[in-house]
Amino acid sequence: MKMKKALLAVPLSVSLLIPTFTVANAHGHENHSKGPMSAEVSNPAIDLRASLDTLLSEHAFLAVVAMQKGIDGKEDFEAAAGQLNQNTEALSKAVGSVYGEEAGAQFKEIWSSHIGYFVDYVTATAENNEEGRKQALAELDKYRVTQADFLDKATEGRLKAADLEEGLKVHVDQLIWAFESYRTGDYDKAYDNISEAMHHMFMTGKGLSWAITDQFPDKFENKSVDTPAADLRADLNSVFSAHAALAALTMQKGIDGAKDFEAAAAELNENTDDITAAVESVYGAEGAAQFKEIWSSHIGYFVDYVTATAEQNEEGKKQAVAELDEYRMEQAKFLDTATEGRLKAADLEEGLKVHVDQLLAAFNSYTSKDYPDAYKNISEAYAHMFGVGQSLSGAIVDQFPDKFAGQKPSDMPKTGMGGMSQSTNDAILWSLFGLILASATTAMILRRKATNHS
Amino acid sequence: MKKVLGGLLLIGLLITGCSAPEDKKNNKASESSETIKEAQEQEKEVKSSSTELTPPEGLKLKADTEGIVPTTIEIPSLKINTEIEKVGRLDNGQMGVPKGMDTVGWFSDGVKPGSPGNAVMAGHVDSKSGPAVFYKLEDLEDGDEVIVKDQDGKTLTFEVTDKEKYNRKTAPVDKIFDYSYGSKLNLITCTGNFNRDEGTHEERLVIYTELKAAE
Repeated sequence: MKMKKALLAVPLSVSLLIPTFTVANAHGHENHSKGPMSAEVSNPAIDLRASLDTLLSEHAFLAVVAMQKGIDGKEDFEAAAGQLNQNTEALSKAVGSVYGEEAGAQFKEIWSSHIGYFVDYVTATAENNEEGRKQALAELDKYRVTQADFLDKATEGRLKAADLEEGLKVHVDQLIWAFESYRTGDYDKAYDNISEAMHHMFMTGKGLSWAITDQFPDKFENKSVDTPAADLRADLNSVFSAHAALAALTMQKGIDGAKDFEAAAAELNENTDDITAAVESVYGAEGAAQFKEIWSSHIGYFVDYVTATAEQNEEGKKQAVAELDEYRMEQAKFLDTATEGRLKAADLEEGLKVHVDQLLAAFNSYTSKDYPDAYKNISEAYAHMFGVGQSLSGAIVDQFPDKFAGQKPSDMPKTGMGGMSQSTNDAILWSLFGLILASATTAMILRRKATNHS
Repeated sequence: MKKVLGGLLLIGLLITGCSAPEDKKNNKASESSETIKEAQEQEKEVKSSSTELTPPEGLKLKADTEGIVPTTIEIPSLKINTEIEKVGRLDNGQMGVPKGMDTVGWFSDGVKPGSPGNAVMAGHVDSKSGPAVFYKLEDLEDGDEVIVKDQDGKTLTFEVTDKEKYNRKTAPVDKIFDYSYGSKLNLITCTGNFNRDEGTHEERLVIYTELKAAE
């Protein structure tokens, strides 16, 4: 396996991955940050981390959806699988932009293989073929070794094959279990696993972006992916993107009258709790309660829209859209106030309009059986949330810079007092002094003992 | 890739083929009950198929990356077994040190042992008058074990992978405290000559360890 040492292609990764965030900037956050560099939420390193998080977690989501649609023989299976392949394409391009085209192609082959084995697993399950299922799992075991080896070599040992194999095992097992739970009707477990599987990829994204930025520091302005501000951005990205993914899927399940609709909706509500907890940690319990009420309302209006669609009630659909318009204003006002104007209500309304419109478009395309368009919209809705995470984390870090100041030491600890060491100068004198000090201490201790005894 | 896509298409067809609902028959009452029966049979089939298949075993559904809040550290080869204090970052940017001469300080604002990244602990090499807990740290060899436990007894075993001495002013602090994908634990103490004017040793010893895979 030849890795290109001359990495002229790296700057491409930035240009390649940035389009994801243009939406974010459009509804945007001006860079208020004047504080220390460690408190920024966006720089080439942190942006790389966010980009990889986007692609990797979307992979997990689409894989789960494709497997569900596959076993159910749903008409949108092909479109879901197609979107999954586009995700592979984008991920391979990102890898290629860092490690060269040849490596990108190699990555794509290896990565695609594991999607193929998942398909084999679903097919074997559909055919009630126990042997085939075992075979697919065995192939997935082999895949883990190949994939880990590739990344170990590419990162020149920064990501260790043994650690990677562990991480990949979790990824594979989560997807398999999400599927197994789904097919056996244990939907709560299935949706727990979807969330876990998506969240897990954020760790992978951090690891991979850390390795890349450590390997090519000057391509990333010597910035670190591991700062409290970067972690906040990733945490918000994770909960917001899961919201979009679960909302889109729940709406599909709703209109289909699927058996797992309730579990999907429950997971969406749990996600609301996660977002609320994040809001609470910054803005307190009262603010969080207010946020939850507003946020939950928009999920309710989406449900209204789905219900109206099912009932072919055009008036009801209009009503739901009108409610969503009102929601946007309220949500925007809340965030403007909370961030003390760092996020402007007008920009937020725009951003929220994009979010609402993407989900409605994804749903409408689904009901009108334009599945490729449905999944294109879901993918855009998903990526959009990473802009939301960036904007909100930027505002929070700017508002509470102390909470996100660099916390790592800049200097080594002072772990010695010289009692057992040679001095660089006056060694003898020093040890003499030490001796005197020691005997003085001894004398004091003795005296104290004597006093105690008396 | 083509092969994969082909596979995806194929399964789509296969599955659609076998489970397509027979809803066109619904107009005729006589046939509708038959349809329902068929549908019920189909459902039964799906159910029985799902119970027949054995779910895979030994799945790992969560990464063990929570880490622990360490309260004790044991280094068998040096006969060290002591308590851990939490330390932070001093105003001058230095990593803090434990108050005790026989205890070890864990940089608790940083990485937890067992989480991805470099957890860091420091111990004194000597007091003003005699040896301290990490006096013999230098004797550690690759493969030696460092065992940390939390208050509930949850145990993590790390293995020495490297040791380096650095000038105290030019030590790669960023690296020692950096993130990493794997779980590491770095132990620091002083070494080299003692600079009386500065009141500190001229060098720092860093023992690098990595988490051993759970057995």
